[in-house]
Amino acid sequence: MKNQAAVFFRIFLYGILIAPLVLFVLYAFSERWFFPALLPTSWTTNIVTRMLNDSRTTSGLFISIGIAMLVSFLSLVIGFPAARTLGSRVFRGRQIAWLIFFLPTVVPPLAVGMGLNILFLRLGWTGTLFGVILAHLVPTLPYTIFTLSGVFSRYDENYEHQALVLGSSRLRIFFTVTLRLVFPGLVVAALFAFLISWSQYLLTLLIGGGKILTLPMLLFSAVSGGNPTSIAALSLLFVTPPVIIIAASARFLVQHGKTIREQY
Amino acid sequence: MTHIELVELKKTYPGNHQPVLNHLSLEIHSGELVALLGPSGSGKSTILKLITGLENPDDGQILFDGKSILPVAPNKRGAILMFQKAYLFPFLNVEENIGFGLKVQGANPETIRTEVKKMLNLIGLPEVEKRKPSQLSGGEQQRIALARALILQPKSMLLDEPLSSLDTEVRVNLQEAIRRIQQELGITTILVTHDLNEAMGMSDRTALLINGQVAAVDQPMKLFTSPPTQSSARFVGVSTFFKGNLANGVLTTDLGKLSVNTNGHHADSALFAIRPEHIRVQTEPNTNTLQGVVSDCMYRGEYIEYQVEIQSLNVRARVPMPAPVIPHGENIYVYFPPEKLFEVSQK
Repeated sequence: MKNQAAVFFRIFLYGILIAPLVLFVLYAFSERWFFPALLPTSWTTNIVTRMLNDSRTTSGLFISIGIAMLVSFLSLVIGFPAARTLGSRVFRGRQIAWLIFFLPTVVPPLAVGMGLNILFLRLGWTGTLFGVILAHLVPTLPYTIFTLSGVFSRYDENYEHQALVLGSSRLRIFFTVTLRLVFPGLVVAALFAFLISWSQYLLTLLIGGGKILTLPMLLFSAVSGGNPTSIAALSLLFVTPPVIIIAASARFLVQHGKTIREQY
Repeated sequence: MTHIELVELKKTYPGNHQPVLNHLSLEIHSGELVALLGPSGSGKSTILKLITGLENPDDGQILFDGKSILPVAPNKRGAILMFQKAYLFPFLNVEENIGFGLKVQGANPETIRTEVKKMLNLIGLPEVEKRKPSQLSGGEQQRIALARALILQPKSMLLDEPLSSLDTEVRVNLQEAIRRIQQELGITTILVTHDLNEAMGMSDRTALLINGQVAAVDQPMKLFTSPPTQSSARFVGVSTFFKGNLANGVLTTDLGKLSVNTNGHHADSALFAIRPEHIRVQTEPNTNTLQGVVSDCMYRGEYIEYQVEIQSLNVRARVPMPAPVIPHGENIYVYFPPEKLFEVSQK
């Protein structure tokens, strides 16, 4: 009985995750699909090939990937020391530090975006790649810090002490011991940051001012265009990289989860 | 090897008023194993952290062969620390773990491999090179940690209760192994422990730490049978003390007169102590006996432990088997052999 429920739940879960993707695929490759036909009556790859040959789409794809990768890297660099301190040290004002780091996730994104817009206008950063990347860091940092501080709250500094008395310099310890111990956590945090930056529309629009055309920007303009086939084709392009990345890291994370459990 | 000198060390952790170490001085001779024994919070582990440089003293000096090591960076001191947990790097296999320090020094892979092999033979665990730490038992992990330390030919070894989380049998095995290797290689070693037996069994000298100071330091046997102060006596298991006027080899206490062995000195207020296993119980009065009432009698396997109330004083006596079971409330005489009573200072 319990097993059946679990199987049913699994099917349901996969269903709601995969059903929209199936719909994208059907729409993206359909030429004629009218009511009441259950499946498209004729198929074509024209829309997809046209989209892939469109320089706006390909540059959007590369800009999105580039921004998301840079943002997740910077999130790790900035979030790492903050997370280590918040996760492993007790100090006065710790709660307030937490609050400040998490404020962007609580405040309505539009308010954050408008505020940043005004500030960046004054600094001349609007419409620049730099400005967009900086703006993306606002929503990604809380997630990186949260993930990594969890890692550091269970982190045992004695591994570093051991390496130190064995003769390692602090710099060497950071790269050969610390980073390797928290590596799985880094991967998860980077994934979070990547995905949040990847799907960012509002901040890109406000700060990029229409000059930085990421995939979500193109997708929104296609949606207002109203052609379901090109919407589906773009959506398919939009979900593919994250799905590939998550699928690739899932195996690794499961394996590492095991070694981490053995370790503690 | 290395002669270690701790001079007037003082350390107070931030946020605490009580210093952990209060002008602590101790000398560890070259090639010697000194055990630091003390209750938790007595500053044992802090001493090791100061020597390795993981913490800095507020005041005082640490000398290796007469030279201060305080200006030396922790990774250049050549003092190896071993913790209660092995802390083998989980992402490296046994060979890489043991070779860690040599790799840091830039030794070539061939040298590292042969040295690791030597170490594995020394600790009695050959042919585990390719295993991951998680595939080893707790005792094996500690052996690997020992090998990882020894491969660097350290000037000194600092052991912070490295055996306290192990099963008895494994622990005794490792105690013997560590002691044997330490003596073979002549490494100056400090062993922190709260286990009296471990300290007694492994060390050349044992230092008793109480309230951030060395309360006593001596060879284990001397420390065990004649600790110099009341508090150190309590720590090594002495619970019977007599206070009184000492004159002509007789101690006059509130409970009666006891003859003791002294070099003939007099004191208005002297304190004598005796170990529980040196006290005897008997049915007839004799010289140096005091009358008391048995309040408890417990069979402990190799001996019987009697609790006897002599007026206000509760005396614990351990008599080896065979010994009679004496019922609760019985009147008996407790014998204190004069040669076993020793004087302690009242600290």
